[in-house]
Amino acid sequence: MNEALTAKVKKIIFVVIAAVVFAVILFPPVVLFLTSIKTELDALSFPPKWVFQPTLENYKHIFQFSPFMKYLLNSLTVASLNTGAVLVLGSLAAYSLARFRFKGADNIAFWILSVRMMPPVAAIIPIYIIMRNLRLLDTPWSLVITYLTFNLPFAVWMMRSFFREIPREIEESALVDGCSDFGAFWNVALPLVAPGLVATGILTFIFSWNEFLFALILTGSKAVTLPVGITGFMKETGINWGYMTAGGVLALIPVVIFTISVQKHLVKGLTMGALK
Amino acid sequence: MHLWKRVGLFFCSLRRRYIWFFFLAPTLVALISIVVFPLVFSLSLSFHDWNIIRAKAWSWTGIANYRTILFEDPYFRSAFKVTLLYLVGTVSLQFGLGLLVALILHRITEKIIGFLRTALILPITMTPVIVGMIWRLMYNPDLGMLNYFLTWFRLSPVNWTGMPLTALPSVMMADIWEWTPFVALILLAGLQALPQEPFEAALVDGASSWQTFRYVTLPLLSPVMLVALLIRVMDSFKTFDLIFVLTQGGPGMSTEILNYYTYRYGFKFFHLGYASALSWLLLVVVTIISIVLVRIIRSKGISVGGAR
Repeated sequence: MNEALTAKVKKIIFVVIAAVVFAVILFPPVVLFLTSIKTELDALSFPPKWVFQPTLENYKHIFQFSPFMKYLLNSLTVASLNTGAVLVLGSLAAYSLARFRFKGADNIAFWILSVRMMPPVAAIIPIYIIMRNLRLLDTPWSLVITYLTFNLPFAVWMMRSFFREIPREIEESALVDGCSDFGAFWNVALPLVAPGLVATGILTFIFSWNEFLFALILTGSKAVTLPVGITGFMKETGINWGYMTAGGVLALIPVVIFTISVQKHLVKGLTMGALK
Repeated sequence: MHLWKRVGLFFCSLRRRYIWFFFLAPTLVALISIVVFPLVFSLSLSFHDWNIIRAKAWSWTGIANYRTILFEDPYFRSAFKVTLLYLVGTVSLQFGLGLLVALILHRITEKIIGFLRTALILPITMTPVIVGMIWRLMYNPDLGMLNYFLTWFRLSPVNWTGMPLTALPSVMMADIWEWTPFVALILLAGLQALPQEPFEAALVDGASSWQTFRYVTLPLLSPVMLVALLIRVMDSFKTFDLIFVLTQGGPGMSTEILNYYTYRYGFKFFHLGYASALSWLLLVVVTIISIVLVRIIRSKGISVGGAR
């Protein structure tokens, strides 16, 4: 009887702690959202106002009076093109590493992983100089290419673990009537890992969408992406919190939708296929 | 038709041996041209003195850049210290709190977990610049939520990111908010994948819950923890966005980690030779740490990227 009671108390304590964790995680983004729908006067009041007349003025303003639309389109272009390139190159390489037996396969895989771990600041100086000489600075192409440095290794590892999960026999049956390895890849293996391919693509897209350091250095005005554009609302003269938070909320919407849609594969994605 | 068949047969024989290479080559070519080549380029640059805004050619200086950094540059030493503090402080707290959250979530019912898991995921994939922005709003001395909470306890407002003493802990707190969920999520997945038998055996043997945790859960979970540790340590060296938005490395140099210091040397002062040398030192440190961690992980027989 007593034991059942302590178990129950324990459970209640756990639920309370879980609720606190939940609140701590969600509170800051909620503040972001609330600030974005306040008038400037309400946003600047202290103590903060919890009851106020919501307004969409900030959202209207950033579309009308700032190049927000341009940032949005740039981010979309860069992330889509990069994701396309990463999926084509990455799934081919991953299939090779997962399926064919050759000397050094493991070493190549770990070398590719080490590229992912490299601090981007180590490569940014030469990449900046190279892009400058190729006259690609401030174009989406510079980012589409540069984002391969971290997204390609990610996709290779993620897709490799998906390919490893399909039983080898299925592809071998496809190989019997000819010797088309590419056919086995294209017609048999790839359709089987389609959900994995989608998950990899979505995460790649999010990583491109979120990237800041390369975009800050390689773009100046024409090709500015959302994260860089949003920090532009921070000026020496002060921050307009309304515009900045409205931009932030808009930039987060696709991220949140995509994240929830790949929940199932997220642990695998975050550990590059090491854990399920 | 005839020709095609012969070409086909030729490729067929080649294929058996070298097909792996045709699949892998595009990726290798891409990575070599956008990673290896630039790194070799910056290694060479690091032995030169070159300022991009003065139209002067590279001038060879040998190891002078490295010597200055290691023996004469007090800012480098400060940045190195801040990097270590930041790394140890954030990662250890993320693991402590993350383990706690994972253990608690593991004990409560599936339904709540599903909901909480979704919440846990948000900070991880959220755009880091926006995380920084949110915390800048929270820390704002005049209208921020944190100072509002302080008024509840009749405490005087704090200039969180504006004072050398509180700036670093403030950035670290934002980092901990952002990445504790990551650790918790991975450890939770690890806990849920553990076999049940060892726990039943411990129960039969009458082990206390602390003993079960210490001698059964922790050892079984350690491979997963190592993978999470590797990823967190590597990412910690890359922290840039949070610092850029919250403090820009200041006040003074109190939040300037090596990563940020290198960026500033390269793209604020345009000393690209010196900055290249800095970036290579950072690369060497990161590589050594990652090799050690990957060795440990592989020696424990975890098939990283395996079919587990």
